[in-house]
Amino acid sequence: MADTDEAAIHMPSNDSSAHIDTDLSDETQDFRMLNHLTFLTDGSQGSLPKRGEKDFEPNPTLFQADILSASRQAMHNALAYPRLHHPRNQVIGIYAPDGPAPPPLAQPSKQMDTVLEDNDTQPQQTEDTTATAGDAEPAKVAGMEMGVPAESCVYVSNPKGQYFKTIGRADRWNRVWLLPEEALYLLERGSLDIRWPVSSTGCPGESETADSGIPMSLQAAYACFLGHGGLNMERFSVYTGLRRLGYTLVRAPGWYDDADEGDCSAEDAQVQSRGPGLAGVFGRFMQWLSDSPSCPAAGPLVGLGIHRSYGGPRLASQLMFSRLDDIYRKLSIIPWQDPTAPRSESRPTSPPFRVVFHVYKPSTPFRKSAPPAADFRVAVVNARETAVPTLAQMSALLDSTPLDPPKGPRMDRVLSLRLRQGYRSVILAVVDQGVVSYLRVADSAFGKEKLYKLQGPKPNQKRGPPRPRAKGR
Amino acid sequence: MNTEPNLPIPISHIAGSYFIFSIDAVTYLRREHHICGVLSGTLPQIPQQNVFLGLPLELMAEEARLLVEKGVACIVDEVNVQTDGMKALMEADRQRYLQELQAQGTQVMQMQASRKEQQREEALKKIEEKKAANAAKKKASQPPPPQQPATDSTTRDDESVVGLFAGDQKQQQQQGSDQSSSRRPSTATASHAMGITPATSHSLLPLEPSAKHKLPLPNVPSSYPLFAHLHSEGYFLSPGLRFGCQYLAYPGDPLRFHSHFLVVSTGWHEELDLMEIIAGGRLGTGVKKGFLIGGADETASDHESREADVRTFSIEWAGM
Repeated sequence: MADTDEAAIHMPSNDSSAHIDTDLSDETQDFRMLNHLTFLTDGSQGSLPKRGEKDFEPNPTLFQADILSASRQAMHNALAYPRLHHPRNQVIGIYAPDGPAPPPLAQPSKQMDTVLEDNDTQPQQTEDTTATAGDAEPAKVAGMEMGVPAESCVYVSNPKGQYFKTIGRADRWNRVWLLPEEALYLLERGSLDIRWPVSSTGCPGESETADSGIPMSLQAAYACFLGHGGLNMERFSVYTGLRRLGYTLVRAPGWYDDADEGDCSAEDAQVQSRGPGLAGVFGRFMQWLSDSPSCPAAGPLVGLGIHRSYGGPRLASQLMFSRLDDIYRKLSIIPWQDPTAPRSESRPTSPPFRVVFHVYKPSTPFRKSAPPAADFRVAVVNARETAVPTLAQMSALLDSTPLDPPKGPRMDRVLSLRLRQGYRSVILAVVDQGVVSYLRVADSAFGKEKLYKLQGPKPNQKRGPPRPRAKGR
Repeated sequence: MNTEPNLPIPISHIAGSYFIFSIDAVTYLRREHHICGVLSGTLPQIPQQNVFLGLPLELMAEEARLLVEKGVACIVDEVNVQTDGMKALMEADRQRYLQELQAQGTQVMQMQASRKEQQREEALKKIEEKKAANAAKKKASQPPPPQQPATDSTTRDDESVVGLFAGDQKQQQQQGSDQSSSRRPSTATASHAMGITPATSHSLLPLEPSAKHKLPLPNVPSSYPLFAHLHSEGYFLSPGLRFGCQYLAYPGDPLRFHSHFLVVSTGWHEELDLMEIIAGGRLGTGVKKGFLIGGADETASDHESREADVRTFSIEWAGM
């Protein structure tokens, strides 16, 4: 086993199948590869470029310098490409910094007044800000009444296009309200033109519409939406990264981490008393021994009759197995947790180890009004600020996900697949300055898989599933 | 591409992260200061993939600090710049800005329209040529061979015959261009201008951030001296999460070179677990990189000598 491991490490790329599991987004790609794609001409997207050849180290040749500058030029061109909106399918959103509010026409007296007031008191900024701060609370209430999340900050009056199937919430006035991450994502991909509202700008425009006509730049959008309603760059990186791949994401209840924060210390104390590693297991074992008086370890572990049955030269195999079962059953003295058993007490999760996104595969039929059960649950973790979760944090996180036992004919057949699937699972998205790694953590029930009950090894399953190969350059 | 942006370059500090939105600044910092950052935005031209990403560029706090210490950049509180800037916006500025965008949008629209027209003409031309070639082939080949693959050589042979139809073709082309010229103004008037979402707010807000919006030096992790040391040696550094380390060190621009080292910073008097070194060494060798640990002598008091006192060690799995 050790030999095959080493072989895999020493020649990772010799295998012809090795390139299958290389992920192009793993490393910076040569932007020259983008030149082969034609963007301006039409929307047909060519297939993505193959991995470019890279050199080992710089040398002073002109040849290398030329390639490098061509790469940089290609990168410059690709990044300088503007976000354009053809007038025929331009979707315009209006930024609402104070949260959801009914349209001015519905509440003419109040809304118009505030708009005018804003314009009048424009030079005195202090007054202005207090006014908006006062407005914030009613806006929240209004948002609840309108059936729109209170953190929504952009509304679209002419929602058209496929994105609104999975993004945004409509209010009574047929406007779709977008959460900050949704608005920023749509703007970034060039599908939404967000305008500054008149109330945010200093110039008194025509006060019939809230639209000042000034398109929000990407820079302004980041400034306005990041940090708004719990959105930070780590969460946004995960959101856009998965959206780009076609997944549908919605906020999970765990997004809002103002609740349950007081319980962190209690959990830590619990962990400390249990202790990590082997000592902890041993301690629990000793406790279990003392707790259960009818312990098989107290008496003779293996009965006399069983000894004799071993000695018998030719026993019916059926009988033999049942006797062996008895031995193994008596040997299983280490307690284990059945994930299917109902929990007496559920520990509260602590941020950041709590589910913040529900993720749906592109193939899952999704309705905004009644989202189905999530395909994946994602917790977002900042790699620079967070250590490896404690056992208590991890099990609290897993307990917060629904029971999803392995099922299906393949799962029933293959033991390793069952163990890998687990009974509950959660995905940790670890983010380091824009680089995201996804880890899947599952609650595997080893205790439920009694190996001694299997009918002997199957010859064709000796090798197991292919192990992931070491990759890299 | 070789434009030099105005120094210092403003680095936007938003919700705890550092961003650059100007493409000129991004290329300049990459070319002149070996600062790559991580592109974290969606490329609008191919939005459904994660291989090539676009603006904004997210900088590590270390990168931002390094640039500020070099005097190349300054940290700007972008949220307040935007809100205050918009509040202070004058009507004249607004009009000017909108006209600017309108002009740009019209220009792009015209460019696209003319390109489309060009493509249409090319396509038409191709179709005509094919037609002509087919017709000529039928005429020229008296005893018609049942199926002759139209290779390049045959079409070239037929070119002289195509000449017969040249006049006809020209006429058609003329017609085509007439049509296009009559159509172009109508489309331009019908659909005015492209809407544009600019990447930066530079032409709307004052370019120079006012002093009250400037922020102090970014807080950096304890690995900063090692970062600065490797950077001063000419390495390009990027976040190391993919390989389970702190930084990846590239000998040249990551666009063209593979990384050489997995970098982990340690304290000067920190006791290391031998297992970590073996794990790092094995991992590094497995992905054809060296495992590099290093740190600064904390006993040195002032910043200058601390940077000079960084020591680094490269560890390789010998596999003996």
